[in-house]
Amino acid sequence: MTRAPHGVMAEFKTPDALLAAVRAAKRAGYTRLDAYSPFPLPDLAGELGVRTTVVPWIAFVAGLIGAGLQYTAQYWMNAVDYPLNVGGRPLDSWPAFIPATLIVAILWAGAATLIGLLLILRLPRLHHPVFAVHGFERASNDRFFLCILGDDPLFEDGETRGFLEAQSPMMVREVPACG
Amino acid sequence: MSSEAQAVTNTVADVPLSRRFGWIWWVALLASGALVLLLGYTLISVAILGVGVWGVNIPFVWGFDLINYAWWIGIANGASLFAAILVLRRHDLRTAVNRFAEGVAFFAVICAGIFPIVHLGRPWLFYWVFPYPATFQVWPQFRSTLTWDFWAISTHAIVTSLLWYVGLIPDLATLRDRARTRAGKRLYGVFALGWRGSVRDWAYHQRAYRLVAILVLPLILIMQSTVAFEFAVTLVPDWHETRQPLHFVATGLAQGLSIVLLVAVLLRWGLRLGRYIDDEDVDLLGRLVLASALVSGYLYLDEIASALLAEPVPQEATFNRITGDYAGLYWTSIVYSILIPQLLWLKAARRSTVAGIFVGISIGVGVWFDRFSIIVGGLQTDYLPSVWRTYAPTLPETGLFLGTLGLFAALLLLFVRFLPVVSMFETRHDEHEEASS
Repeated sequence: MTRAPHGVMAEFKTPDALLAAVRAAKRAGYTRLDAYSPFPLPDLAGELGVRTTVVPWIAFVAGLIGAGLQYTAQYWMNAVDYPLNVGGRPLDSWPAFIPATLIVAILWAGAATLIGLLLILRLPRLHHPVFAVHGFERASNDRFFLCILGDDPLFEDGETRGFLEAQSPMMVREVPACG
Repeated sequence: MSSEAQAVTNTVADVPLSRRFGWIWWVALLASGALVLLLGYTLISVAILGVGVWGVNIPFVWGFDLINYAWWIGIANGASLFAAILVLRRHDLRTAVNRFAEGVAFFAVICAGIFPIVHLGRPWLFYWVFPYPATFQVWPQFRSTLTWDFWAISTHAIVTSLLWYVGLIPDLATLRDRARTRAGKRLYGVFALGWRGSVRDWAYHQRAYRLVAILVLPLILIMQSTVAFEFAVTLVPDWHETRQPLHFVATGLAQGLSIVLLVAVLLRWGLRLGRYIDDEDVDLLGRLVLASALVSGYLYLDEIASALLAEPVPQEATFNRITGDYAGLYWTSIVYSILIPQLLWLKAARRSTVAGIFVGISIGVGVWFDRFSIIVGGLQTDYLPSVWRTYAPTLPETGLFLGTLGLFAALLLLFVRFLPVVSMFETRHDEHEEASS
């Protein structure tokens, strides 16, 4: 018995055709969709229900943690663990601790956001079923792809293929599952 | 639209993917490579012989090391500022040209980082600045500006390099898919991390990229101020001023923007990227450079006004800088970094390649003289008249500076050769918008 395919993929020439196909697929009741494009398509991302609100939260929380750690570390090292009297200045010289606290907050926020981005996207992942599709390399150049995934409840190999062919794509291909 | 998108990808992607790149690139790379060798030689000589090979001595505790450090930091910050402005200015996706501005910032911060490390005298112990549990149970003194600097430089280097790389990932995927050789496919493929261009991935990518690009904005202001605090907290009469951070931020940004302008017009001309780094971008840069030069001019006047109001000792120190042994540096700086940029009032000059190169180099040189004037001219007349003398860099110091210029040029040349200098996916998007509107 052959394994269920990863999905069925249709290739489109313009982002508008892709958007129309995504809308039609949603009307037809498909829920497990993925679209590929050579540049960001915010409207389509909204259509597919992508919510990126977690990104600023990652930055905010990481920034707070970084700032807290840096300030506490400076206070503990210079006022508690190794107090050094420099010309009678207070040990907890909080204004002097602020610049490094702000800088390290930005370090944590920036690094956590960008590294968190890779974790959210599950990259690096050098192999993926979609790469096996002939012509998919143009997804990074000038073509737009819609993939209806095999785990969609409505997925029925021939029927889904027929549905995609009705959306006037340039071609429709099956995406085999990865071994 | 499709054929236009193809055209964009071709023009930009052909540069890194072509087998030949012309003899000028090779000559430039060889020349900068020779300077990188010189950098290695001067670094080794300082490590083995110590900072005695430099011309620094009391009262000149800082010389070329800090002059060039402050200068490179200015370039890094100005370039980062420009990249952040592009992200902030437009709400659509038009930020293609911030790619090379980030590259310039990253390379400049690498060059800047070399100086504070070698000037420690025992550079191999630089990690003492980091708060690690040492066996001798001493922690860094965080009330010192020098430790703030450690955080500032490392943060700038880490965040800028990450931002630059994450911005590159989709374009690396394009290069992977277009590479003609197997080695090229593999190499670009590994660094593209398996980017598929999923619409969901794009949404997260753009959100994260833009957010961090804006986070860099406060960072560069704090960082440049930290450099200035290193001067302001000393007891040196000419340096011990609260106006110091303002002066460093303003002149540093002018200089960074001017270097971005210089690189922009050179790229436009050398790689024929006029369509992507368009007149409007260069015009915006020209206006920013002019505005920052005017602010610098205002701060030069402010310096004189503050000196007139100051007590006798700092007043004498400032006027010594303006009229004393090092007066030439001060006046050269005014001519190069404030007067010559006034050319940019003319629209024709803002859009001309020759004027861009001329003004870019002029401000770079002018601000370098300004740093020289502040550091050396400021230290010359300290409180103890018996040590008043003059300073001149020795050959190893000059070699170190030329070496970092070579390193910067070499990194820039390799970047231009192997990676897309403007963002391909953003330009594709723009062309699509234009075609459909």
